[in-house]
Amino acid sequence: MIKSLMFWVLAIFLAPFFSALILKVKAFFGGKKGPPLLINYYTLVKLFKKGSVYSTSTTFVFKLGPMVSLSSAVTVLLFLPLAGQAPVFSFNGDLLFILYLLGLGRFFTIAAAMDTASPFEGMGAAREAYFPIICEATLFMILILFYVLTGELRLAAYFTGSQPFGLWQMAGSPMLFVVIALFIILLAENSRVPVDDPATHLELTMIHEVMVLDHSGPDFGFIELGSFCKLFFYASIIAQLIMPFESGYLALNLCLFTAGLVVVYLAVGIMESVMARYRMDRVPKFLLTSFALAFFATVITLEFIK
Amino acid sequence: MNIPVDTILSLVLLSILFSFGSSRLPGLIKVLAFQGVIVSIVPLVIGHDLTTGGILFTLATLTIRGIVIPLCIYLAIKRVAIRREVEPIVGYHASLLAGLGLIVAAVVVSHRFEAPSSSASVLLLPTAIALLVAGMFLLMARRNAIAMVLGYIMMENGIYLVGTTFSVRALHIVEFGILLDVLAGVMIMAIILQNIKQTFDDVDTALLRTLKE
Amino acid sequence: MNSFTLSMVLICCGGLAALFLWRQFLLMKAVAVGFIGIGCAVGLTDALTKLLHQGSYAVSLKYLNLFSLSFQIDGLSAFFLVSIFLVSLLAAVYSFHYLNDSQKALRTAVSYLFFALLIASMALVVTAANLITFMLAWEIMSLSSFFLVIYDYESADNRKAGYLYFVFSHVGAMFILAAFGIFYGNTGSFMFADGNTMPDSAKLTILILTFIGFGSKAGVFPFHVWLPHAHPAAPSHISAVMSGVMIKTGIYGIVRLYASLGLHTPLFGEIVLVAGMISGILGVVYALGQHDIKRLLAYHSVENIGIILIGIGIGMLGVSFGNPIMAVLGFAGGLLHVLNHSIFKSLLFMGAGVVIQKTGTRTIDMLGGLLKNMKITGITFLVGSLAISGLPPFNGFVSEFFIYLGGFRGAALDRTAFVLSIMAIVSLAIIGGLALACFTKVVGVVFQGEPRRPDVTAGDEKGPAMLLPMLVLAGLCFIIGVFPRMFIYLALNAIPVSGLGYGRIPMEPFMQITANITLAATVFFVILAGVVALRLVFYKDKTIGSAGTWGCGFTQPTPKMQYTGTSYAASILEFFRPAAPLEEDHPAISGRFPIKTHYHSHVHDIAERHMVHVVVNPVLWLFDRLRWIQHGDIHLYIGYILLAIVVLLFFI
Repeated sequence: MIKSLMFWVLAIFLAPFFSALILKVKAFFGGKKGPPLLINYYTLVKLFKKGSVYSTSTTFVFKLGPMVSLSSAVTVLLFLPLAGQAPVFSFNGDLLFILYLLGLGRFFTIAAAMDTASPFEGMGAAREAYFPIICEATLFMILILFYVLTGELRLAAYFTGSQPFGLWQMAGSPMLFVVIALFIILLAENSRVPVDDPATHLELTMIHEVMVLDHSGPDFGFIELGSFCKLFFYASIIAQLIMPFESGYLALNLCLFTAGLVVVYLAVGIMESVMARYRMDRVPKFLLTSFALAFFATVITLEFIK
Repeated sequence: MNIPVDTILSLVLLSILFSFGSSRLPGLIKVLAFQGVIVSIVPLVIGHDLTTGGILFTLATLTIRGIVIPLCIYLAIKRVAIRREVEPIVGYHASLLAGLGLIVAAVVVSHRFEAPSSSASVLLLPTAIALLVAGMFLLMARRNAIAMVLGYIMMENGIYLVGTTFSVRALHIVEFGILLDVLAGVMIMAIILQNIKQTFDDVDTALLRTLKE
Repeated sequence: MNSFTLSMVLICCGGLAALFLWRQFLLMKAVAVGFIGIGCAVGLTDALTKLLHQGSYAVSLKYLNLFSLSFQIDGLSAFFLVSIFLVSLLAAVYSFHYLNDSQKALRTAVSYLFFALLIASMALVVTAANLITFMLAWEIMSLSSFFLVIYDYESADNRKAGYLYFVFSHVGAMFILAAFGIFYGNTGSFMFADGNTMPDSAKLTILILTFIGFGSKAGVFPFHVWLPHAHPAAPSHISAVMSGVMIKTGIYGIVRLYASLGLHTPLFGEIVLVAGMISGILGVVYALGQHDIKRLLAYHSVENIGIILIGIGIGMLGVSFGNPIMAVLGFAGGLLHVLNHSIFKSLLFMGAGVVIQKTGTRTIDMLGGLLKNMKITGITFLVGSLAISGLPPFNGFVSEFFIYLGGFRGAALDRTAFVLSIMAIVSLAIIGGLALACFTKVVGVVFQGEPRRPDVTAGDEKGPAMLLPMLVLAGLCFIIGVFPRMFIYLALNAIPVSGLGYGRIPMEPFMQITANITLAATVFFVILAGVVALRLVFYKDKTIGSAGTWGCGFTQPTPKMQYTGTSYAASILEFFRPAAPLEEDHPAISGRFPIKTHYHSHVHDIAERHMVHVVVNPVLWLFDRLRWIQHGDIHLYIGYILLAIVVLLFFI
């Protein structure tokens, strides 16, 4: 329990570091030196030191938004097994709770955006409400596959001990499709290219960034930290799927897990460097592809084991 | 359970989904070429007849199916400078969902048949049926003539797989005959396309209706 | 006199007293609300005690020496009574300040009479033990609610809505009556309890016929057409009762007949499940496209009926495939959702009622920024929105959680159950996402931002009788969401175990699930408290500025530029266009001096659209052909009567 709690704290503290890897990769592709690897910590400290300016249109919901979205992201990490370690909490059906808790965070992010009366933020909010619907369907599809394979509905049951490797053994190659589908979900849920471009200049083309335009100071810091944690959550799930080995030694496990994480973040960075953002009306098709992959993997796998 | 075959066949099924989702002709042709290559190596992996003759035939089909026909079509669209959109009648989202439904339906239907191949792979017959229906779907749901031809080729891939399920000796000969027919068809298509293009400045098959009067 | 009868008498007295006291407006309201409220409170405590101490209570009366009117309260009835009395009690209190037009004193008095009749008849419907009693109570319920729908009868739209509701409820009742005829024909008994002696084919016919009949009351797609018309027409507390509990009597009917007939064929479970999925998804899609806040909420009732049916359908499949855990999870989730929906939906309708009363409009896109002046309404509406979107830690999540768990059990079964469970789970996920989108739209556009029209602004919120029920309901949403133990216990007691062929349900595993939900919610609150504390630390001694919203470089923003609900929902509706065709009216801007243009959009309901072609036109055609019977000649009419008597004499 204590060890798991330490892992949880470690995860929250390391999440900003990994996100900086993406920036480094993008800088490398652009032929630039790029910001230091600790850039996100500097940003967070700078934000936490500042005061805030609130729009006269806003209400208490605007202040509640960052707090709820950060709390939901951090709570979700409590249920996440890291490097084969059991998570702090785990119960039958915790995955449903996790997905809906992320939904709660999204509800408040959107509500905070609508609170500002800004047309741009409303536009971002509409997209933020739309795209995750398909993502959720995909995630539930993957969940069904994992449930049928293991008979469990706990996140911990899939990624502790020798289980991740067991998943590959049972499902075989369709697991690859699951990984790809999860990667697409990661890109969409964390507003990365090609769904959303966190570095674009035009507010009209943004999703997540435009919704938080009016937040400032510590509130904005909370939002940033929350999105680092959320990205870390998805990335570590994929990392544990692509590095499904259990060595029996904690140190070695940790190395493997970190290697997996680095691979995922590098992949995100490379995606961002080589691809352009999709036109907004193309995004649903992209997300439907992930749904198709997950659905397909489920159907195929269940044909295998029957 | 046969891991290599099933992996290959699941790639074939995946290619159906991608072909339904691709909006541009060159992409669609690439997907079809990929599908052709994979479909033609299926007999090798199943290991029906690993004789020299069998391997030779397989290689020949692979060349025609995976390289010659796609290349022909690709050159044809290059030459006549056709519009690159596949011009769907059924939208991409709906097509993708239809593709999923089709695969599930194929799996369900294939249980009705007592196929001798079920020992080789449980996926073989479902994939074959799915290819047949998917080809038909492309034929019906795309307005662009080339996309329709590609749908026809997909159906042919399906027929080939159905043939593979019945490991008859004469399979290769029959199959080869069909393939040559298809090749000839594609050649003729390339020529006719050029004619349609010259007449109508377009290859939208809907325009053929104007020939009525 | 037992307390159930007492509560019925009190409620009816309240309604009658209003009629006598109509000249004293305030007194009349106080007496009516007082009697109805006390009656409901008595009934509520009675139902709760009966639900906690399982067992059934039966009463039988002779009626016209022909039929016996018999009533019976078992777990299922008591569970529905709890939600009926709870919501009616709060709606009655709410109405005290809501119906405040003393010009319409007589009308208000009449509406109290029908309101009392509606509550009493709903209670009698769920306690009826035989077919005759059930049908009688059902008809009183339909008629009294019809008169409540046409409360504002001056408006032609409202009269039309009432007419539509009348037709639907009576066509539905005809299906139920036909089914009951088959029931009686096969068993020779009017008692529900004698249902399982019939042949299976008759049972299936009865189940399907009653599903259509009850479905048209409950608002199952495609029989939901009356709902989005009737709810906006009725006064808000009536909408709350109708949408919150009256449509649930349809669900009650389905479950009651299923349990009493004891036919466990997978087919009926499949029908219920598929109907649930379609209603769920399409209900919320149409809700997204609405501009009228009450119409939107009405479509959400269709959606939630869908969720309830998914739960019950999973339960039925669990019974058919011999998986008791799946069955209990499905039924418990579905039944708890009945209670949950009655709580948050009545809360939302009451909130919408306050908004409509204070601003005078129901159009979402004309409102805005109400949260600043209407704190209590805004916050309770926000809580209701979170609950209806199924988000933790509110009550909607709990019931959906149970349904999901049941669905996952089904996913481990064989082919048919597997496919249906997958579809159920994925549709629940999609419904959840769409509901979130829809309620962020309502909350965001109506309560947040700036007022869109200078003339449509919120006054202050007055009327404690309106605010108190909303606070109670919001509190309930939260309590059930965090401590669901007690309420799951109630729902488990309500499952008609005898009808499913199970003995007793072991409580322990289900209580474990509720303990997990409580744990997870507590963890979330601890972390939220931590973050709040952190925020306080960060903001200590900081300068807090205040300025306008940043306009992204534009310097003259006006409130008119805010994103509207229509544009918010547009891209999602585009995805569902085949099921929800959009009609737009927007003359293009042209020329150097363009004239003023406008934009109007309407999302068509395909059920409504096709109803005209498939049902209305053929029926009209048929009746046109039969018009010759009506010729106006009195002699022939007498001939008809004679003929009818002769025919009856021959055949009976």
